[in-house]
Amino acid sequence: MSDFEERNVQCVLKILRKKNPATTKEIMAMRDLFPDLCAGCSSGGDVILAGKQLVEEGIVKRKWTVEGFEWKLLSDPDK
Amino acid sequence: MVVWSRIRKDFPVLNELYEGKSLIYFDSACMALKPVQVWEAMEYYYKYLGACGGAGRSTHSLGIETSLLTEESRQKLASFINAKSSNEIVWTRNATEGLNIVAATLPIKKDENVVTTSLEHHSGMLPFFKKCQETGSELRIVNAKSDGTFDLTDFEEKIDDKTKIVSFVHASNLTGTIAPLEDIVKIAHEHGAWVVSDEAQYAPHHKLDVQKLDVDFSVLSVHKACGPTGVGILYGKYELLEKLGMFLVGGDVIEDVVYRDGKIIPKYLPPPHKFEAGLQNYGGMLGAGAAVDYLQKIGLDNIHKREQAFSRRLLEGVLELEKFEVLGPLDYKQRAALVSFRPKSDSMNHNDVTEYFNEMLPHNKILMRSGNMCVHPFQYQIGMSPAKGDGVTRASLYIYNTMEEIEIFLTALENFAKAIN
Repeated sequence: MSDFEERNVQCVLKILRKKNPATTKEIMAMRDLFPDLCAGCSSGGDVILAGKQLVEEGIVKRKWTVEGFEWKLLSDPDK
Repeated sequence: MVVWSRIRKDFPVLNELYEGKSLIYFDSACMALKPVQVWEAMEYYYKYLGACGGAGRSTHSLGIETSLLTEESRQKLASFINAKSSNEIVWTRNATEGLNIVAATLPIKKDENVVTTSLEHHSGMLPFFKKCQETGSELRIVNAKSDGTFDLTDFEEKIDDKTKIVSFVHASNLTGTIAPLEDIVKIAHEHGAWVVSDEAQYAPHHKLDVQKLDVDFSVLSVHKACGPTGVGILYGKYELLEKLGMFLVGGDVIEDVVYRDGKIIPKYLPPPHKFEAGLQNYGGMLGAGAAVDYLQKIGLDNIHKREQAFSRRLLEGVLELEKFEVLGPLDYKQRAALVSFRPKSDSMNHNDVTEYFNEMLPHNKILMRSGNMCVHPFQYQIGMSPAKGDGVTRASLYIYNTMEEIEIFLTALENFAKAIN
């Protein structure tokens, strides 16, 4: 994983530690809290990719709701 | 008569299931799919040539054939846009590089200005922003109207006798707006200004005649025209290409580099070679030639006619649902074959919309792009905030799409609208 990707993974984890679960919209709005980690274009595609990677690793679960996807941190890899 | 079902067969990815689902590819404004003819042309280079091309580099048999074929491709690209000569075609990596070449090598004085628009792709705006910052020249912005169209009087107000160049996008990748290129060229030329048009979204879908339009420079990315990635062209009137300075320097751009009395004295080649430093993407150039052959065989008028019918249905279908805001003009005749939209309810992030169509449909994957499409200034202008997560989902069409796919998408969009807040 590149440093850039790793930073975005940490971005998603930090946000979910603050608000769990969170919708994509909420995650995007909270990127401002961690400007050094939430890297990439403001459109947020890099953050989504990082989130999907965490889903694949079983660390985060994603489900569809009427407000879009909801992301839930299942097990914190840093704990 | 074009048999469109046969054309679709040239794109193997569309004829296979992906993760058990049929693909509907609506992301051609980002990247067009590649027909078999294109990768066969590239394969020929990699399989049977694989040698250096370029002016006088390797004079053995493989080098000569590589040079002949790549120059033949250059001629094909010249014919594709009706340039006067293949010497007016510079190989680039993409439209972005073409715009950077023009901006970086533009001879401009501090008291002169550059005119561009708020609807530019960042690739059309930032190279000139950077140039103006470096030179102290003024960058003037013509604001697009909120529906993404232009008022010519705004160009008349911004362009004056001190305008060096006008840079604008012929077909917007965000709103689909087709700009009135001929009128803008006329206004610019009345003031002695040059014009560079970004044809990345226009040329793959419409017949482009640079001589008729009298545009001074144009750029396009071949990857949006069924060609390989990493290949584009910069067109320039030959006498103007001569006036531009040097961009990348090194091998292949020089006639000689004299070393005399401890001093280096380079003598550069004329256009187009003066802009093509180092070994080039020869396989890509052959693929580019095959791509424009492919499109011309279908006929750009046929492509445009079909796409206009499709984009009309797509646009009207999205609007009929009354749940989505569509960016750009609402008249399909003023648009390229793409629709950027977002839920009016503002209940969810644009990435979720795209993800839903990629992953949540039972039988299909509808592949679109979400985000801000590298046109942030216009979105700020109309009150959206990319920084706060505002954005759109874009459905863009090309030659391999079908009306049936559009209907599947519209039905899915209707269901999506019912399923969200």
